[in-house]
Amino acid sequence: MAAPDELFCWEGDWGLPSVSTDCLVVLAYAQFAGAPLKLRKICNPWRSPSGSLPALKTNQKETLSRPADIIIHLRKQKFNADYDLSAKEGADSLAFISLMEEKLTPALIYTFWVEPKNYVDVTRRWYAEHMTFPLNFFLPGRMQSRQLEKLRLLRGDESLEAGEELEKELYCDAAECMNLLSQRLGSQKFFFGDSPSSLDAYVFGHLAPILKCKLPNGKLQQHLKSLDNLTNFCSDILLLYFPRDGRESSGPKAPPQPDGGDFDNVPNKRRKQLLSALVALGAMLSYALLTGMVSILHVQQGALEEPPDLEPIESHQHEEQGGS
Amino acid sequence: DLEVEPAAEPWPENATLYQPLKEDQILLSDHASSLAVQAYLRMCGLPVQVLCRVNSEFMSPSGKIPFIHVGNQVVSELGPIVQFTKAKGHSLSDGLDDVQRAEMKAYMELVNNMLLTAELYIQWCDDATAAEISRPRYSSPYSWPLSKILAYQKQWEVRRKMNAIGWGGKTLQQVYEDVSQCCQALSQRLGMQPYFFNKQPTELDALVFGHLFTILTTRLTSSELAERVKSYSNLLSFCRRIEQTYFEDKSS
Repeated sequence: MAAPDELFCWEGDWGLPSVSTDCLVVLAYAQFAGAPLKLRKICNPWRSPSGSLPALKTNQKETLSRPADIIIHLRKQKFNADYDLSAKEGADSLAFISLMEEKLTPALIYTFWVEPKNYVDVTRRWYAEHMTFPLNFFLPGRMQSRQLEKLRLLRGDESLEAGEELEKELYCDAAECMNLLSQRLGSQKFFFGDSPSSLDAYVFGHLAPILKCKLPNGKLQQHLKSLDNLTNFCSDILLLYFPRDGRESSGPKAPPQPDGGDFDNVPNKRRKQLLSALVALGAMLSYALLTGMVSILHVQQGALEEPPDLEPIESHQHEEQGGS
Repeated sequence: DLEVEPAAEPWPENATLYQPLKEDQILLSDHASSLAVQAYLRMCGLPVQVLCRVNSEFMSPSGKIPFIHVGNQVVSELGPIVQFTKAKGHSLSDGLDDVQRAEMKAYMELVNNMLLTAELYIQWCDDATAAEISRPRYSSPYSWPLSKILAYQKQWEVRRKMNAIGWGGKTLQQVYEDVSQCCQALSQRLGMQPYFFNKQPTELDALVFGHLFTILTTRLTSSELAERVKSYSNLLSFCRRIEQTYFEDKSS
């Protein structure tokens, strides 16, 4: 075989090889099918050949972005994890993948990108910390508005906003979907017998982020943890196919600074706040001095104490009477 | 949108189902959804009168066709309607065990995810079909310039959705391939049985019938979509069987 294809995907965290569902699906399928891929784990979607992640760059210089297309490409190259499936099992795979895309994906988008606390505390922080300057300033925000738009289009409601009712509806659908998956899996190791297939890759890709990422609003995780067979399913796949990434997980989300509290965990933030306050003060003072609103006369009348927003004419007139 | 009443009120005689005008206005995807609901209600033995109204889409609580008006409640789309009838004590899927119910729900999502999306794509993202059929039909009740505005607005909305779910980059041939794949999966699951879960029809049968029958009987710019469905003979006999059993009072 010629040189292996290159796969660009998001970096991993929380014990996962990647934080994105689509990337996890492709990575899991590649492991299951034994496809040799050159992995490029990056945090900058602009460096990917298609502008988004995941992206597969094939030997023929073709770029594929959708997980389904990437899996079809790997299958054509004889890396087929679905080889042993019967026709009916293949049909069931398609049906359950559709079920996840219709019922689970909206809840995933909501919980990571739309729910305010989760987005601010975990998602945006993670992407801002892992992206390079200057992308970390605007790219997470842009990704969030794209995800919100996608959710709006999926639900067919242009005026969708984060809220209790929407959350309840989406989580209800997601919980039902997880229950159905759990019922289908039963006590088997994988969905179709002893070796994993593409359906297992999709289920893993959707459930692993819920399982591993600790979010402030963790209702989905609670429900998933109550379904033992699905929890074991994800953990087994991580153990068997991604042992190196699993070892990196250091318990629940571990921010680099040991401080508690949501806003004070970066000492630089204090310094930056102080610095920005000083700069603002200095700018106002120099403006006042330069325009003559405040003049440094060496007089004992406290002319310097006058706040700059007093009328310039009045301040000169009241100079003898002293400041306010 | 759905208020589930614990007390099972009897199904009133004057229940109505609203859809756009059949001859001139309704589009393939809406007709498929409407036929699915009609089939489901007939399978449950619940009488409903079909009323064609020009502004059905705007009357619907969720903006989607069809919707039913039962007593003093209005419910739209097959999923909520199934739940609504279940609350009134009518259900087709009670006899299924857990694994079968999981499969039924999954296959219903397969139809929504692949067939319905493909229908929307062909109607609105294929320029030929959109110009010759979809836009004229969608805007037929309105006069210029409202007709143009509404038609292009709908087209733009559907195209944005296609882009968001990753279908924007697909070619028409790829969409036909997806339809074939979906039909193959359905054909596999149906096998030689009369209905998807052997002897009794369920909401899955109603949904599949609604879509396949509409595809087979609707004229589009190209007959490729119908041809793809026709290549699965067990699906054809399935549609014929349901038509004869539940719609025999309909003329032809």
